[in-house]
Amino acid sequence: MRDKGPINRLEATQHLVSRAPQALVVAGPGNAKFDLAATGDRPQHFYIWNSLGLAPSVGLGLALAQPQQQVIVLDGDGGTLMNPGALVTMARLAPPNLLHIVWDNGQYQLTGGQPTATATVTDLAAMGRGAGLQHVTTVTTLREFEAGLETWLTEPGPWLVVAKIDDSPAPARPPKDPVWIKLRFMETVNR
Amino acid sequence: MSWADIVFERLKANQLKVVCYVPDSVLAPLIARAEADPFFTMVPLTREEEGVGVLTGAYLGGWRGVLMMQVSGLGNSVNALASLAIPYQIPFLMLISQRGELGEFNPAQIAMGRAARPVLDALDIQHFTLRRVDEVATLMDGAVKTAYTARRPVALFLSTEMVGWKEEK
Repeated sequence: MRDKGPINRLEATQHLVSRAPQALVVAGPGNAKFDLAATGDRPQHFYIWNSLGLAPSVGLGLALAQPQQQVIVLDGDGGTLMNPGALVTMARLAPPNLLHIVWDNGQYQLTGGQPTATATVTDLAAMGRGAGLQHVTTVTTLREFEAGLETWLTEPGPWLVVAKIDDSPAPARPPKDPVWIKLRFMETVNR
Repeated sequence: MSWADIVFERLKANQLKVVCYVPDSVLAPLIARAEADPFFTMVPLTREEEGVGVLTGAYLGGWRGVLMMQVSGLGNSVNALASLAIPYQIPFLMLISQRGELGEFNPAQIAMGRAARPVLDALDIQHFTLRRVDEVATLMDGAVKTAYTARRPVALFLSTEMVGWKEEK
């Protein structure tokens, strides 16, 4: 299972939060944040309920303001394609404590599975490299993801990881009150 | 002191440490001064809505900031303001270089320039306009204070009455 792709997003997310329990995690709209919630709701999760494309921008601002903390962004291929400029800005500012994971299944899964450009012509890792990011990798199996994490969490980034995932549904839902999510998160960050 | 000198001084006095911007010829001297001062963390953007995200993350991490842009950038930022800054209650200052009003030569600048204030009103984002150099410090300090009290962005427009309008070429 672990040696065969594609990756199951929930399994990978579970591995991520158990490997980096202290990290601050910013999760973009859609299944990225649903599966983060499925691993168990925690104060260090910042769930973005709309704003497709802005998860990496939020993660960048947070990583700059909190250079001593590990910041992880979880987003999808649709979000990355909506705001590819975020890769450019991330490359220019280059905070070493930022790990940006893109769950790429080549589709707008929540809206009916319409294909994104990554299903056919577009390579997000190549876009990241083209933007100027120095640490970019693509993983296609859970084993590669688990092994890679040891590097991404210990060697200075920013890291862009494109993880090729399947289209398993993500039925869990995080809390919906934005102000409550924010205040709880800020209390954890500034503790 | 010029309007830019006063704005620069009040940004610092109010601890607006993160400067997110897309360049504009009016804002250029201010951006250059901030770039030369290590107090500021400069974040050049590809598109203005990114700045709403970056300032949200910075605020979560305990930093205050400003989004500097031309009025067209406000148009690029509308959903980011409506879906992120407003519902999550994220305060910051927007410093907006006005186009489309007094002295405009470019027909393509008129509509967004005219729509800016109604758009902000529709979002219930407060806005003020800098028209005279002797009002700049008061409006800067007041706008920042209100933003952080209301936990909502506040906009300041740089009018062409004060900063001059772009020469037609």
